[in-house]
Amino acid sequence: MVIAFLRTIILYLLIIVGIRLMGKRQVGELEPSELVLALIIADLAAVPMQDFGIPLLTGIIPIFTLLCITMILSILTMNSVKFRALVCGRPSIIVENGKIHQREMQKNRFTLDELMEELRMKGITDLSTVKYAILETNGQISVLPYANQLPVTAEQMQVTPDDVGLPLIVINDGHVLDHNLRTRGLDRAWLQKQISKYGIKEPDDVFLLTVDEQNRVYFSAKEVLQ
Amino acid sequence: MKRLWIAIAILLAIFSASIWNARFLAGFLSDLNELLVQAETSAESGRWEEALQLTSQAQERWKSHDAYLHTVLRHADLDQVDTSFGEVQEFLQCQEQGEYSASNAKLMTQLMLIWEAEQLTLQNIL
Repeated sequence: MVIAFLRTIILYLLIIVGIRLMGKRQVGELEPSELVLALIIADLAAVPMQDFGIPLLTGIIPIFTLLCITMILSILTMNSVKFRALVCGRPSIIVENGKIHQREMQKNRFTLDELMEELRMKGITDLSTVKYAILETNGQISVLPYANQLPVTAEQMQVTPDDVGLPLIVINDGHVLDHNLRTRGLDRAWLQKQISKYGIKEPDDVFLLTVDEQNRVYFSAKEVLQ
Repeated sequence: MKRLWIAIAILLAIFSASIWNARFLAGFLSDLNELLVQAETSAESGRWEEALQLTSQAQERWKSHDAYLHTVLRHADLDQVDTSFGEVQEFLQCQEQGEYSASNAKLMTQLMLIWEAEQLTLQNIL
């Protein structure tokens, strides 16, 4: 038992170091400690589940140990900036004023193809329009174009468009969501009137109906599937 | 911070329990080995009844912790010890000195290996 406990701690920390050394691209949206937990906890549970000759405790002790260490690491990364930088790393500036920082890219094992792919996904094809491209600690790229490349906002154009707010789903695949209807201050009678405008008699025949803060309706009828 | 202390407390509890388990097994298994050594000495002096009684005593003590041992040790290791106990008892009843000695030595080695596997040593961790 004590060997399983200590081995779990050693291997867990070793894998976290490994993940950190592999660079930010491997991390995804999780912290390294959470990613490692997700990677190994399923395996730990599977072994005593399949092999009846192994005591259940052999699986339970490492799982509890991992959960506790992950909790400790999460709290420490939340409370200490230095510890967070150690475990999660720091953001890396890959592009600055249109110039690629090759050393940073190499340090993070980030290829040019990956950079261009990320920029294209953000609708940018010309590197010279990028003020900053930052590789975040979760492996995502944040791109900040030059101010003259940013889309014009309504405020800059001095126009005041209507704020439609969040559209709420009122009918979801034939099911009426009454609490959303009430949130908008509406009732079933109003709903019936709306759907009859589209030639529909029952909410069951509606696939999606949303209502925004200005009571504007989006409607989609159910298709007849063969 | 409360969660931090709870996590640390659970870790310490697991560590303490596992250390206690290692120490308990060390004491328990060395007691069993002691009984088996005494049985061997008796058998060598021709006191077969006494040897059989001591071995049965060791087996009963082993059986009395069956549930606990199945919770903390590999079941295959426990089955091997059970088989060896049966074998040793048979050779004692037949009063086969050579075969009994070999079988008893095997049983004691199995118990020692279980004891070793649970000890907190660098060798085991690595």
